[in-house]
Amino acid sequence: MIAIAPLEAAQSRSVLGRTNPLVKLGLAALWLVGFVVTPRVGPPLALAIAALVAALILGRVPPVAVLRGLAPLWTAAIGIAFFTALFSAANADPAARVVVALGALRITDGAVADGFLLGARVVAIAAVSVAFARSTSPTALVDALVQQARLSDRFAYGALAAYQAVPRLSLDLAALREARRLRGLRGDWHPRLLVALLVLAVRHAERLGLAMDARGFGRGPRSHFRPRAWGPLDLVVGLGGAVLLGAVLALA
Amino acid sequence: MGGTSSGGPPAIVARGLGFRYAGAAEAALEGVDLELEPGGCLLVLGPSGSGKSTFALAVAGLLGGDVPGLVAGSLRVDGADAGVVFQDPDRQVVMERVADDVAFGLESRAWSLPAMRARVPEALCDAGLAGYEAHPTATLSGGQRQRLALAGALAPRPGLLVLDEPTANLDPAGARAFVERLAAVRAARAATIVLVEHRVDLVWHLADRLLVLGRDRRPIAVGPPDEVVARHGARLVAEGVWLPEALERQLGVVVDHAAQSSAAGAGPAVVATSGLGFAFERGRPVLLDVDLRVAGGERAALVGQNGSGKSTLARLLVGLLRPTAGRVDLLGDAPHRMAPADLAARAGLIFQDPERQFLATRVADEIALGLPSADRARAAATLEALGLPLASFGTRSPYQLSGGEQRRLSLACVLVREPRLLVLDEPTFGQDRLAVDGLLALLRDRAAAGTAILAATHDERFVAAFASRVLELHAGRLVVECAP
Repeated sequence: MIAIAPLEAAQSRSVLGRTNPLVKLGLAALWLVGFVVTPRVGPPLALAIAALVAALILGRVPPVAVLRGLAPLWTAAIGIAFFTALFSAANADPAARVVVALGALRITDGAVADGFLLGARVVAIAAVSVAFARSTSPTALVDALVQQARLSDRFAYGALAAYQAVPRLSLDLAALREARRLRGLRGDWHPRLLVALLVLAVRHAERLGLAMDARGFGRGPRSHFRPRAWGPLDLVVGLGGAVLLGAVLALA
Repeated sequence: MGGTSSGGPPAIVARGLGFRYAGAAEAALEGVDLELEPGGCLLVLGPSGSGKSTFALAVAGLLGGDVPGLVAGSLRVDGADAGVVFQDPDRQVVMERVADDVAFGLESRAWSLPAMRARVPEALCDAGLAGYEAHPTATLSGGQRQRLALAGALAPRPGLLVLDEPTANLDPAGARAFVERLAAVRAARAATIVLVEHRVDLVWHLADRLLVLGRDRRPIAVGPPDEVVARHGARLVAEGVWLPEALERQLGVVVDHAAQSSAAGAGPAVVATSGLGFAFERGRPVLLDVDLRVAGGERAALVGQNGSGKSTLARLLVGLLRPTAGRVDLLGDAPHRMAPADLAARAGLIFQDPERQFLATRVADEIALGLPSADRARAAATLEALGLPLASFGTRSPYQLSGGEQRRLSLACVLVREPRLLVLDEPTFGQDRLAVDGLLALLRDRAAAGTAILAATHDERFVAAFASRVLELHAGRLVVECAP
């Protein structure tokens, strides 16, 4: 909620912000395939850096917003790298060079390489996701999905409403936790909270759905207040992203 | 018909209109007969659960399809296209930007782009939000959001405007601003208006006709306001229907202010603060330098605009937040450091939205949750005293109770622990007069027994009847402390 205002420039005026969300989505998918097909650590890391630089310069996303988006995924990347190295099948190879040996535990250099590769892929996926999410306004994404990808109104606007309900859901959870404390109950977490949260979410969705229907939603074909058209920028960004991917994969 | 405006056929004709929600044993509304001329304004009154919202949904054309159930009788609404404003400002904003949200209903009706671009600023202007086009909807105040909903409803130029308690969540200034805009719509007679509203003092002058529903969910009266009050005044009072204060006085409704003079805070403090401050973010304080003390037996009302810090102060007093400056003293300890069980025994808080306070799926489990075994025996008696006997309510889901019943259940869950400090956040929100009278009597009893009570509220009438002291917050500072 606090991050809304600072992203205004990134999502409406920057180069990435003005690029069609579908182009960015397509590029993200293409890069993702690139990360998976390459067996080396270099390309995913290079592309992760490229994605972050693009978000900061072409997307004018405030560095704080980039860091905040990455924070949980850094932890995930390190955890995945560590456990992959720990449990890799390469550790069973008696001929492999051992990097770490602690009693029965042995980690070979092949396992370490596996760990680094998976970790690098997670970092790259995180960087691309952050660049996409921070430079794309949900409204623009929904407009493009409905008008250009011909997705159903119900689905697209439903997803938008759900996305906007997320801050409210966290407020609901905070209130329910306070309610527990006021009943003299300890602990921040209890399965009962999840049930109560689900009930509140469903009721919110029902009421919002009724309000949308009251405004004629789903009555017939819709016109568009923010018409979208393809532009030269979409071609430039799309081609640029594809060429960069090809170059990085070829050079590595 | 009164024939105040155009002589055309009536805009709304209902004959024996009723509705039963799918799965419900009883009808939510029965036997409504009425006609309303085009451009007229119908004010719908009635106690909680009398079918006011159901009637509003019926007229808006949302029953049957969107809300499953069985419609009885007939209803004809001319020009069918209705604009609707609901009660909760948070539950009707669809889009991220103000202009996009206003245009949402126009897009649904397939308006052309130039027509939409011309109409959106007009509708915003009519709702008192001129120039807000590019504003993010998430940062609007509650009052502004409600006017945004009005703009969205008015944008397609509906022949009928249906409003279901549109000012219930607003502070007095926000409510007045909203009603001012509604009055302009009525003055232009551009749309027929159906208005459900508890704040009758504000909207009484707008009404051409009244529909009053009773506790049996049937109409008590339909007709011009003066005539209805003259003929059915006593019945309306008995049913707990809110009427303008002046009319209530004529009808002999007694507001007991006498009990106020007692207990002016002479006893030892139950809760006290010194230099209390709070900020969610560095540099943006919500509360600044608040010094207050509430003694046992006191009934303090905490007033102030939306966003003035009332709810934050309430949560600090019961230890849900840690002060960022100064301190809170609850019977000798800092409440945010107390063990939950200890805190629950000393202080209770009633949330504005009772649903956010429920943690169990049955009423009996809800009240028993976290309750020390020594207090168990009192649970049944507390529920009984609040009109929720275990025998008939024990196995029901808290979420399926009416708004008034939910409020009483959340009260029961707190009162059963007999805390020394009771804090209430907007306790009268959406309640009818009998429910508020019951609450007042209960709070007076508790105060007489030595409980310190603080109620954060927008309800000016409740303040007058409840408070032995009024505290006013303005932009996070305690600005006024006085007897009412």
